Amino acid sequence: MKDGKDLAEYCIEYGRSLGGDYVEARFVKQITRGLAYRNGEPVSGGMQPTTGIGVRILVDGNMGFGSFDRLEKTIAEETINAAFKMAKAAKRKDKIDLGEPVSNKAKWSVDLKQRLANVDLDTLMATATEMNEKMQGLAQYTMLFNPYEIDKFLVTSEGTEIDAFTSYIRIFLLLTAKGKTGSEQRMIDMTQCGGWERIKEGRVIENVEDEVDRLKKTAEKAEKVESLMDQPIDMIVGPEVAGIIAHENVGHPSEGDRIMGREGAQAGESFWRDLKLGESRVGSDAVTVSEDPTIPNTGGFYLYDDEGVKSRKRVLIKSGIINEPLLNREFGVKFGMESNGSSRSVAYNREPLIRMANTYFEPGDHSFDELVEDIKLGVYMRSFMEWNIDDRRYQSKYSGAESYLIKDGEITDIMVRRPVLETTSVGLLSAVDAVTKNLRFDFPGTCGKSDPMQGVPVYAGGGDIRFRGIRLGGVG
Amino acid sequence: MAGFDELKSYVDIAIDYSKDKVEGVIARGFMSSGSQIRFSQNAIDIGKRWDEVRLELFMIIEGTQTGYSERSVTSEEDAKQAVKDTIAFSKKLPESMFFAGVEEDTHSYRDLKGAYDEKIDDFTEKAPGFVNAAIDAAVSEGAKRVAGALKFSKELSFFKSSYGPQGSKKMTEYDLNVRAFQDELDYSGQGLECGTKPNQDEKGMVAAGAKAGRLSKQAIGAVQGDPGTYDLILSPTVGANVLGSIPDAANPFAILIGLSPLGDKMGEQIGPDFLSVTDNPWIPNGLACASFDFEGTPTQQTEIIKDGVLRSFVHNTTTAKMYETSSTGSSRMLGLGEGLKMLLPNSSNMVFENGNHSFEELIENSKPTIYVTSNWYTRYQNYQTGEFSTIPRDAMFLIENGEMKPIKNLRISDNTLRMFANIDALGNDRKQVYWWEVEIPTFMPTIRVSDCRMTAATQ
Repeated sequence: MKDGKDLAEYCIEYGRSLGGDYVEARFVKQITRGLAYRNGEPVSGGMQPTTGIGVRILVDGNMGFGSFDRLEKTIAEETINAAFKMAKAAKRKDKIDLGEPVSNKAKWSVDLKQRLANVDLDTLMATATEMNEKMQGLAQYTMLFNPYEIDKFLVTSEGTEIDAFTSYIRIFLLLTAKGKTGSEQRMIDMTQCGGWERIKEGRVIENVEDEVDRLKKTAEKAEKVESLMDQPIDMIVGPEVAGIIAHENVGHPSEGDRIMGREGAQAGESFWRDLKLGESRVGSDAVTVSEDPTIPNTGGFYLYDDEGVKSRKRVLIKSGIINEPLLNREFGVKFGMESNGSSRSVAYNREPLIRMANTYFEPGDHSFDELVEDIKLGVYMRSFMEWNIDDRRYQSKYSGAESYLIKDGEITDIMVRRPVLETTSVGLLSAVDAVTKNLRFDFPGTCGKSDPMQGVPVYAGGGDIRFRGIRLGGVG
Repeated sequence: MAGFDELKSYVDIAIDYSKDKVEGVIARGFMSSGSQIRFSQNAIDIGKRWDEVRLELFMIIEGTQTGYSERSVTSEEDAKQAVKDTIAFSKKLPESMFFAGVEEDTHSYRDLKGAYDEKIDDFTEKAPGFVNAAIDAAVSEGAKRVAGALKFSKELSFFKSSYGPQGSKKMTEYDLNVRAFQDELDYSGQGLECGTKPNQDEKGMVAAGAKAGRLSKQAIGAVQGDPGTYDLILSPTVGANVLGSIPDAANPFAILIGLSPLGDKMGEQIGPDFLSVTDNPWIPNGLACASFDFEGTPTQQTEIIKDGVLRSFVHNTTTAKMYETSSTGSSRMLGLGEGLKMLLPNSSNMVFENGNHSFEELIENSKPTIYVTSNWYTRYQNYQTGEFSTIPRDAMFLIENGEMKPIKNLRISDNTLRMFANIDALGNDRKQVYWWEVEIPTFMPTIRVSDCRMTAATQ
C-alpha cells in the first residue's frame, strides 16, 4: 500500500503544480476471488487483483478526472495532464464550487473478525457446496460467490487523508422452480459486509434454504385470484418489498444530482425537482424513510465518504414530507446546504457520485398481526421479482413473488400468483397507514447509476407496511 | 503508455513461463485508453480519462481443471507473477463441468478494415467541440436543457494460445447519448450515435442532438396515455432492447442457467417469415467486430434466425462439443459478478435485416398505434417464458389518422416471445444501437409489432 499512497500524494502535488484549485486522489487496491456454480457443479473460478489511482482535479470551476492502473510517476503525470486539459476544455459559465474545504484525517474499517484474505479456497468451496445442497430440487440454479476486500486511501489538496478498509462476500443466486403453475424465477442477492464470520452471523446457509423452499412453494401453489381485480384491496408488503420501495421511490428521487439534472441522460431526473423541502407532502404521516451509512455490517456501510466527508444518517421523508436530499460537496453548495456524506465511487477508475447506502422505512408501532386483523380483502406480498420505475422515479411496478390472500383478518393458505403493484410514488406512499416495529434489511442489492455504470452495494428494508385501497395492476 | 511490443512481450512471457507447468494457456494482453465527456444543463460537467494495461490468463491445468485471472502489468516480472498466482489458484479449483477444450488449430485471420481510427488521439481536442455542436443542434430544434455523454476509446490487444493460435487487434469506438428536455420533466427526447471512427462522424453526432431536441419539442403537451392493447412502432433503440433480447438469448449458457426462452425452440418459427437476424462480427462500423475470438477461432457470420425460424446458437469450442456442432467463433471471457470472468460464447454485433417500409408507411395503420422512441428498466418476471415489462421514456406518441399526439406514463407489459412473433413490418432505416440498455451492439430498423399490452399506474 505504501507505494500507492506515496504516488497518490504525489498526484496532489503534481495536480496543484499544474494549477488545479482542488486535487483529490484515491488509491484503491482490491483483491477478488470468484466461483461460479450451475446446478451445484462448478463451472468457473478466478481471481482478480486490481490496483489503481483515480484523480479528480478542479480547474477554474471545471472538473477533470483521470485514472491509471500502473503505479508509475510518469503515467500519473500523463493522466493528470489529460484530466487537467479536459477540465480546462469544459469552459463552464456556471463554475463548480465544492464549498468549504474539508480536511478530515481518519482510518476506518468495516467490523470484522476473520479477514476474507485468510480464508482458503477449500473453505470457500466447502461453504459454496453447502449452499448448493440447499438448492437441490430446483429445476435450475446458478450461484456466483465472490469474496473481496478493498483497501482505499483518499488524499486531497485540502488536507484530507482517509484510510479505509471494506470487505464483502457477494452472493448472487438465480433460481428456477417448476411446479403446477409453470416455472417461477427469482434473482436473490445475499451479499454480506464484513469478515468470513458473516456467513454464520448472517445466517446465509439457512436463508438460502428458506428462499429455495419458498420459491418451490410459490411455483407449486400460486394461483390467479381474479376476484382481487374487482375492487381496491388492502396490501401488506414485507421488509424486502418495503426495502425496494424505499430505495426506488424515495432514495433515488432524493439524489441531489438527479434533482439538478446531472444524471439527465442516464439514470434520469427526479420528481422532487418541482417540490419544496420541508413542505411538499409525498406520503401519509406514517411514512418516514431514512438513509444511513453508519449501520455496521450492511452493504452501504462507510464512515467517511469518497470526498472525505464524515457520514451520518439522513432523513429523506419525515412523516410524509420530503425532508433532506442526498448531497455531495458540489450539490451541497447548489442546494445552499452542505454535503451530507453521500459521495461514493465503486472503483479507482470511477468518479465519486451521489449514491445511496442503506435506505429504509423507519419502524412504526404496529405488530404484524395488527396489520392483518382489520383487512377484509387483501394481499400479503412477502417478496417480489419483476420491478421497474420511470426515470423521474414516479411510476413504479412491483410484481409479487411469494404472496398470500388475506381474507377477513387472516392470512390464508391461498397463494396469489404475481400480484402487480403498479402505481405512482405519491399514490403508493400516500396509501400507507401503518408500519410494523420490526425493522429488517431484507434487501441487499447492487445499485446501478451513471455512465460508465457504477454498481455499489446497498441494503434496503423496513418493517411490514400496510397500504389501504390499492387497485392492483394485474394478477397471474 | 506502454508500447505494443512491450504488451506482446508480456503475453509471450506468460505463455513461455507457463508452458511446462500446465496443460494449456491462453494469454491476452490489452492496452486501452478511453475518454468521456459528460454534460447536463447545456454544459460540460466533467471530462474523464482512463488508461489500462492488463493481462488476462486462462489456464487449463489438466483436463477440465481451469482457472482465470486478470491484472495490470508493468513488467516482465509482473507477467511471471500473474502466471504463478493463477496456476497456484487454479490448481485448487475443482474440474469445471462447463469446459470441453479450446481451439487447437492455427488459422489466418481476415483483415478487418475500418475498425481503427488512426486519428483517435487527436479526437480528444475535437471532442468538446462535437459535444457543443450536438447541444447547439438540440437547442436549435427547440430543446431547453440538454444532457448526455460522449465516450471514445482505443484498444490494442495481442493474444496467444499455447495450442498455436495468436493474433493482434486494433479497435477504436465511440458512443454518444444526447437527451434533450423542455423546462418540464415530462417532455424529453433522445438521440444516439455510435461507431468506430469518431473523427468522421461530426454530422451523425449533430444529428443525434437535433433529433433529441426535435423529439423533446414534439413531446410538449403529452397527456396520460390509456392502458390497453395497441400496435407498437418501436424505434431502433427500443427494438434493440426488447426484440433484440430474443436473438441475444440464442446462447447455450443462457439456456443452461435459465436466462433464455429459446431452449426448446430450435427449428421453430419464432418470428414472421420476412425476418432474419445474423450475428455478424464483420459488419462495417460494428462496435463488436473481430476476426478471431478469445480462443483464436476465426469469427464467422452466423444466421441466428432465418425467415423467422430459429436456426443457430452462438458457440465456443465447449458449447459446440456439447451440442455436437462447430464453434461459431464466439468465445469470450465474460464477466460474472465481481472479479470473475468465464469462458463462454457470446454474441458480437446482432444484425436485423433491414426492411422496406418508410416511417410514414409504418404509421399507416387502421389499429390503435403507439410510437415508442426510447425505453429503459426492462425487467423480467420469467426469462424462460419471456414475461417482462419496460418503461417508455422520452417522447411517445399515439398515432391517430396519421397524426402523432404526444402521450406519457405508459409501460409495455408483455411477453418478448409473443412480441417477436407479432412483428408485422420492418422499417428501412436500420441503424446501430448501443447504449445503457443495449449492451450488445444491435443493427435494427424501426419495427411495428401488433397487439401489445400497455399498462399504467392505477393510482
